[in-house]
Amino acid sequence: MIKLPQLPDPVANLIRAHDGPLTRQLLQSPGGFGLGKVPDHIKPDATTTMVCGFCSTGCGLNIHLQNGEAVNLTPDTNYPVNLGMACPKGWEALAVLDAPDRATTPMIRRNGRLEPVDWDTALKHFVERFGEVMAKHGPESVAFLSTGQIPTEEMVMLGALAKFGMGMIHGDGNTRQCMATAATAYKQSFGFDAPPYTYKDFEESDVMMFVGANPCIAHPIMWERVLKNPYDPTIIVVDPRKTETAMCATHHLPIAPKSDLTLFYGLAHLLISRGLINSGYITAHTTGFDAFAEHVAEYTPDIVAAKTGIDEATLRRVARAIGEGERVSIWWTMGVNQSYEGTRVAQALINLALMTGNMGRPGTGANSITGQCNAMGSRLFSNTTNLLGHHDFTSAMDRAKVAGVLGIPASRIPSVNSLAYDQIIEGIALDKIKGLWVIATNTSHSWINQKHARSVLDKLDFLVVQDMYHTTDTAKQAHLVLPAAAWGEKEGTFINSERRIGLIKKVRKAPGQALADFHIFKLIAHYWGCGAMFEKWKTPEDVFQTMKELSRGQTCDITGILDYAMLDRAGGIQWPYPESMTPKSEYDAGTGRVHTQAFEAIYTERRLFEDGVYPHADGRAKFIFEAPRPMPEQPDATYPMILLTGRGTASQWHTQTRTGKSAVLRKLYPQGIYIEINPVDARRLEIQHEKPVVVESRRGRITAKAFLTASVREGQVFIPMHYDTANLLTSSSFDPYSRQPNYKACAVSVRPVRYGDMDGQEASR
Amino acid sequence: MIRPANATLTIDGLPLIDEALDEQGRMTAVERFSKAHDHGSTPMQERYYRDLLPASPPGPGQQYAFEVDLDACSGCKACVTACHNLNGLDETETWRDVGLLVGGPMDEPVHQHVTSACHHCVEPACMDGCPVKAYEKDPVTGIVRHLDDQCIGCQYCVLKCPYDVPKYNKAKGIVRKCDMCSQRLEVGEAPACVQACPNEAIRIRVVDKQEVIESSEYASLVPGAADPDYTLPTTTYKTDRVLPRNLLPANYYAVKPEHAHFPLVVMLVLTQASVGALLIEHILRLIVGGSLLDAIRPIHSASAMALGGLALASSTMHLGRPMYAFRAFIGLRTSWLSREIVAFGGFAKLAAAYALVSWFLPDWVGVQTALGIGAVIAGIVGVFCSAMIYHDTRRAFWNISMTGTKFFATMLVVGIPAALATSMAATFVDPDLTVQQIMDKWGYGLCGSLIVVSTLKLMFEATVFMNLKDRRHTPMKRTAILMTDALLGVTLRRFALGLLGGVVIPGVLLIDLLNPATSFSPTTIVAAIGLTLVLNLVAELHERYQFFTAVISPKMPGGVM
Repeated sequence: MIKLPQLPDPVANLIRAHDGPLTRQLLQSPGGFGLGKVPDHIKPDATTTMVCGFCSTGCGLNIHLQNGEAVNLTPDTNYPVNLGMACPKGWEALAVLDAPDRATTPMIRRNGRLEPVDWDTALKHFVERFGEVMAKHGPESVAFLSTGQIPTEEMVMLGALAKFGMGMIHGDGNTRQCMATAATAYKQSFGFDAPPYTYKDFEESDVMMFVGANPCIAHPIMWERVLKNPYDPTIIVVDPRKTETAMCATHHLPIAPKSDLTLFYGLAHLLISRGLINSGYITAHTTGFDAFAEHVAEYTPDIVAAKTGIDEATLRRVARAIGEGERVSIWWTMGVNQSYEGTRVAQALINLALMTGNMGRPGTGANSITGQCNAMGSRLFSNTTNLLGHHDFTSAMDRAKVAGVLGIPASRIPSVNSLAYDQIIEGIALDKIKGLWVIATNTSHSWINQKHARSVLDKLDFLVVQDMYHTTDTAKQAHLVLPAAAWGEKEGTFINSERRIGLIKKVRKAPGQALADFHIFKLIAHYWGCGAMFEKWKTPEDVFQTMKELSRGQTCDITGILDYAMLDRAGGIQWPYPESMTPKSEYDAGTGRVHTQAFEAIYTERRLFEDGVYPHADGRAKFIFEAPRPMPEQPDATYPMILLTGRGTASQWHTQTRTGKSAVLRKLYPQGIYIEINPVDARRLEIQHEKPVVVESRRGRITAKAFLTASVREGQVFIPMHYDTANLLTSSSFDPYSRQPNYKACAVSVRPVRYGDMDGQEASR
Repeated sequence: MIRPANATLTIDGLPLIDEALDEQGRMTAVERFSKAHDHGSTPMQERYYRDLLPASPPGPGQQYAFEVDLDACSGCKACVTACHNLNGLDETETWRDVGLLVGGPMDEPVHQHVTSACHHCVEPACMDGCPVKAYEKDPVTGIVRHLDDQCIGCQYCVLKCPYDVPKYNKAKGIVRKCDMCSQRLEVGEAPACVQACPNEAIRIRVVDKQEVIESSEYASLVPGAADPDYTLPTTTYKTDRVLPRNLLPANYYAVKPEHAHFPLVVMLVLTQASVGALLIEHILRLIVGGSLLDAIRPIHSASAMALGGLALASSTMHLGRPMYAFRAFIGLRTSWLSREIVAFGGFAKLAAAYALVSWFLPDWVGVQTALGIGAVIAGIVGVFCSAMIYHDTRRAFWNISMTGTKFFATMLVVGIPAALATSMAATFVDPDLTVQQIMDKWGYGLCGSLIVVSTLKLMFEATVFMNLKDRRHTPMKRTAILMTDALLGVTLRRFALGLLGGVVIPGVLLIDLLNPATSFSPTTIVAAIGLTLVLNLVAELHERYQFFTAVISPKMPGGVM
């Protein structure tokens, strides 16, 4: 060791610097507000909590503020959803707000290019063009596509403005792509779109079955709750792929794609034949069991084994686990919902829960895990499939009730149902719909059979895209782009998977002239000439007060939530929350009393149907079933493989519109599209690790990098949906009840890239 | 309510737009909702990480270490983002990585995510390699800390670390890395990653260094990680399962060219050319001797000095903070980079003195020779240190037998044409010298020597392609794949230029010697020699570019590329 002589400090520091400006850049200091140490340069002077704006888990985030603006965030330690944790998307939620391609002014397409204009010009353009189309072709010639990504208050405004103000008949949302099946299944089975569970159920089950769900990747914080389960639960995973979740399972059932309905009827058959059903519950709380039992009688283990590829012994083991479990919960997500017969599959799962009496108790339930942060808000308040507040457009009584709450003539409310998303797209294709208003979604990337979808959008006389970025695939096709403020730049509420209403707050300034959708809708109403209708909604919280009235007497009654401040104090509140539940202390909150411990203990985690009474008129849940149908597109000699799609990583969200804007998130997932293929198939097809392959379906051809893994079975391949070419392959087929697209299975061929393949325009896009 | 199409003209929406924009700009969350109350000194999150920290600090022979429960990690990567946010890192900067291992039997495939940051090694290679001692291993906690203000941005630690831990921050001109959140640990708080893992898969524990040494005897940290014997990494990856033998990193078959480090490419080739030119001169002095050599001495020594100066200037361009390069001597005891800098520092001074004396004191022949020999010795030591710098990173392609051979061969492959060229240049200065005279005396000899060394060097370099036949995907096989795939153009150019400059042109000159019927004019010979020098220089720059880009650097398992 070279011993330096004792030198004066500046000299010693010059030769070996232990401290200095660079070192101090990483200095940490106590953050206060219960935070622990934080980077010194972004030490907060205040904090506030709000819910995350990516997925439906609805995690609480603690926003670190300096001079009122967010500088950093950490997961909210006390929020009952996420217990101090967040996935990478949540951690990076602020970073994506700073992207250079944020829409900062309205833009009108002139000479093929989007050019910035002021709001007055844009709004006049909006009402003129939509006005022209509607005047010429009637109210059914325009439509809107809403989203599960904006606060419920804004959904209410959009739905009311478009249908009651502007006179549109048709409007749907991107929730059609994720939750329509679950909503339809619940509505038919229970009488109301009511996911019955609370996240605590993850911790209280002794048997859990995940169907078409990969929470490890898609809902990491829900998986956190599963791992907190102290009962060493039996975990059954039904998924054609050996997903991360399947790898943690006690039993993984890698069923043949789309043999799920057969599987669950087969399990029902086994449960009945072994007497592992709860007859008391069936008799007291359900209808239609006998017909169902008769229906499943033919689903004997040998038949089911042949169809699903799961051996009889495993079927029996799984049936026994479900039948003998004390607290069995069944969880599903897109693997069920995004299917041509998803509604019946979801109901097959509901049937399993009903027949074993696994409803309304801790750790039970037939539970749909939602996708988007506010898909659940959309299901109740988007005014698309349902009239505001889960009412019925075709019911005069419901129309009168809603008209009364809004203070508008009932005649303003359409008495017919809206077209669904796919029907709107086909309406455009058939020249029936000529104007479309797309809010916070990315049809050109996410809609099934993408080439068709894009060409259809190109046919429109007028396409308006309202989004936080002007660079989405859909915005690139728009005639008018309206710049929207994002999550974190406005107020409102989201409803998460477990029906918890959580608050979002304004903690960042929106860039340039971007405005909250709330403001945009108010302005459009004014320019359209129906501003008076929305006069009383001065703030999103005013809309929230209207939502309460709309929910009065419904299964989703939230009249007991006084205001945003109460939501903030309570850490979110699950619906239903009727007036009768409001604790006395809440009424005193204005005078300085804070909520009591008892409030938290009683109200933070609640589940539905504890009394076995369902929203159907007779108070009973229905057994609904139907014979399985074959997959719409079967593999054949030309397209011999089945393409599965799904989520790639926890760091990617849907079309990557936002997650692609964070440099850190981008590091955490593969940048280019890749295809998972079984090594046996790869060997046969002479496909090598990491080499590009051509994937082709009847609708399109793409190139992707090969990732060889036995997690996909032979004859199947998997492509993550986040990459913009994935939907060039998928095929337009839909569930007849929910109209949800069948994203998960279509026929493709795969081969190595040959010389000249890269020149293809689709392949290189 | 369908609007008539002509109704817009009467709308006055401007006040409403202004109101909306005004409202949008007002920040209200604080006054409406912020939590004004401070929760005291204990962080709220403490309830989740309390059990993930050791009960007592390390004793003698012990240190802190990360422990990762592979069975609990679901691959969400929250640890990476938490580290980024809670350390206040730059926009694109991350200190933690999560890779993926793939394998298992067909019916029971395994995807195992692997999170890693600094392994706070018992013998940190980053620290040993640092020329300015910008690393410290805390004597109590064992945490390997980087002294940001001491760093000169040479990035040698990036090459030294077999786990890709130190991350170069170009904007700041320094390297930064994980310090196990030592500021947090000091006050009993958990590191960011530990606090943030939803599944409690990362914890801090106290390990016995002796245990680390023992467990580094055979098994690597996880499949695909570097041989632990090099640095003795302290992280423990635990699992209750038996990991399948065929588990491989998801990026195992992906090969990607590494960073080219252009200033280093130039610096290495030019220092070697400079030392080589002086060496050749002194060899000639031994073999042919005589006054003819003395006549070329001034211009030769000056040229060599110029090449060396250019090389050293280029090397400083590689540094993020060259103004602190003077600190480089303090790492002499452990760092080959430090030694190289000192050796080449000596070389530069001796070469300069040699050139000055040769120009201005032409009669001091003895002093000239002494200075020249001194410069050659210092230069050869420097070139050896250069080779050791790369050998010391334990990368197969940079092994001393490969690197040393290449570097010393470059001395000759460029040194010979450089000596020839300076000899020719001398004919322009000194009217008594003729081209043919020099060619006869040593020119043809040098041409022959050049053909021999160039051929040998090219053949030696070509042996790398034999690795293409390896059954295993060894680092050398990957290097060969890179050179024949992504870097194929460079490879072809390198061999073409090398053949042309090192074999064909000197060959043509030799044929001229053997065949008296044809005789090149002096101008042709001078031009041919000039061309040889340029071609060989460019060829060696190509070789050195591949030296950096085709090397396979050890890393923790990566994800799907």
